[in-house]
Amino acid sequence: MKIEHKIILSNVFNFALILLTGLFAIQNLNAVLTKLRFIEIADDLNANFLEMRISEKNYFLYGNAGTLLEIKDKIKTAESSIENAKNDIVRAVGAGSLSRLRSYLKDYSEMVDMVIEFPSRDMRTEAMLRTAGKTLREFSETTTRLERERMNTIIARSKEVMRYAFWGVLVMAILVSHFISQKILSSLRSIEKMTTTISQGDFRKIEESRSKDEFGSLINAINVMSEELSHREEEIIQSRKLASLGILTAGVAHELTNPLNNISMMAQNFTEYYDSLGREDRIGLMTKVERETERIQEIVKDLLDFSKPKEANLQEADINSVIARTMKLVQNMLDISNITTKLGLDEGLPGIYLDEHQIQQVLVNLITNAVQAMSLGGMLFIGTRPGRRGDSIEITVKDSGRGIPPEFLPHIFDPFFSTKGDGGTGLGLSVSYGIIKNHRGDIRVESKPGVGTTFTIELPVNNN
Amino acid sequence: MDRYRVMIIDDEKIVGDMAKMSLEREGYLVETFLNGEPALARLKEERFDVVVTDLKMKGVDGMEVLRTVKELYPDTKVIMITAFANLDTAIEALRGDVHDFFPKPVKIRELKVSIERALGSR
Repeated sequence: MKIEHKIILSNVFNFALILLTGLFAIQNLNAVLTKLRFIEIADDLNANFLEMRISEKNYFLYGNAGTLLEIKDKIKTAESSIENAKNDIVRAVGAGSLSRLRSYLKDYSEMVDMVIEFPSRDMRTEAMLRTAGKTLREFSETTTRLERERMNTIIARSKEVMRYAFWGVLVMAILVSHFISQKILSSLRSIEKMTTTISQGDFRKIEESRSKDEFGSLINAINVMSEELSHREEEIIQSRKLASLGILTAGVAHELTNPLNNISMMAQNFTEYYDSLGREDRIGLMTKVERETERIQEIVKDLLDFSKPKEANLQEADINSVIARTMKLVQNMLDISNITTKLGLDEGLPGIYLDEHQIQQVLVNLITNAVQAMSLGGMLFIGTRPGRRGDSIEITVKDSGRGIPPEFLPHIFDPFFSTKGDGGTGLGLSVSYGIIKNHRGDIRVESKPGVGTTFTIELPVNNN
Repeated sequence: MDRYRVMIIDDEKIVGDMAKMSLEREGYLVETFLNGEPALARLKEERFDVVVTDLKMKGVDGMEVLRTVKELYPDTKVIMITAFANLDTAIEALRGDVHDFFPKPVKIRELKVSIERALGSR
């Protein structure tokens, strides 16, 4: 079910509950009002009946016939009150009670008529009249009292119902909002996990969407996007390979053309002026030809190193010792350039499997680059520490050199990319990159022009 | 008669050396430079009849040499050499009023013919 539908359903439920409670409250209120109206009428009647009884008592005490007529008047008043409030009384106490009241009043009225007609003031007549009056008044008062009690019960009951309804709506709202927010949060979490995986370039792990709600469709959309991205990535890798091949070819062509041109020009002059050249000149030219072929050989060797990285011969080693041995190789270069070196080697790093010769080659490359980027008197820092991933170690090579312009940064690991002009073949970093990748590690660069460059190598601890 | 002055600029020393070796035997006065800056400084001191320059160099490159030469001495001929033998650079260079364009490896005999023609057409 869609979350939207769930929210609507819970709202409908709460609305119905509130509506029911409201209807119940109105009904109770109406009942209370009816009872109240009855009690008002009954109070009037009771007062009326009380006066009748007082008049009745006066009659028996003083024998004044006028008082009997007063009683008749009061009975009439009571009858007309009952007649007027007939409907309200029926509604409050029912038709049975009304007819009983009427019959008690009638009995009393008849008793009064009888006394008026035969004004004997004997004990029997007196007792009968008194009994009729007493019955009338007791009935009326009892009914009133009962109705008052009933009214209180209704008020107490509706108070209770209101309270339950309030808690019901509250609990329902809390439960539903909690459930829905939990559902939204957990869905968001799974989607976040998914997008993180995708952003790390893993397009294969596509989580099967189970829910049929909005998040289900979102996950489906992300899956489609991920699939699309995976196709795109293949295309990008393909075009990058081609671009890399293009750079490689252009680089090889340029690197080889110069020494070939030199050999060609020397050979042309050697042939052209053979007779006029002295022995020394001829030997000099041929020596230079030899040197140029060596230059070509060097380029070809670098190229082979680059294109076919030798199988790394991994052996467990302590990275700090490898760095210490590498420093001996470059110490002379550092001294000549008057570079201050600072080492920050973390003790107690785990041993890692590496090809010491290859890692030394990488470090020498990085240190050479650093030295060339710094003027005399620069500062070089080499450090080791546990890697961010936990199962890796990090090697940092940091210089205070001129830095790499931001537009060059994406290309520095490309083969034949060099900022050094004649100074380099542009293969050093490219070869280093290959070696580190071969160790299943990672090499990153950060650089600020004018401040310096930091290379960070991350090597996994369990790469055997 | 004054000898013609030829300047060679190429960051490969052997190119200058070999061109000089051959051209001097033809009677030219040859000066060689390994990069653009000192060459331009020298050009400001003295006029050369022909400037042979590498196109791609660190710092002042062949195109800048061409512009400066044409500013200083509109009559001086410029010949380009380059290790990049692709059409785009050639077109760019020719558009910039160069006399001739040589991809490496350079045939010295053709270079000499080109220089002779440059001097003749002046």
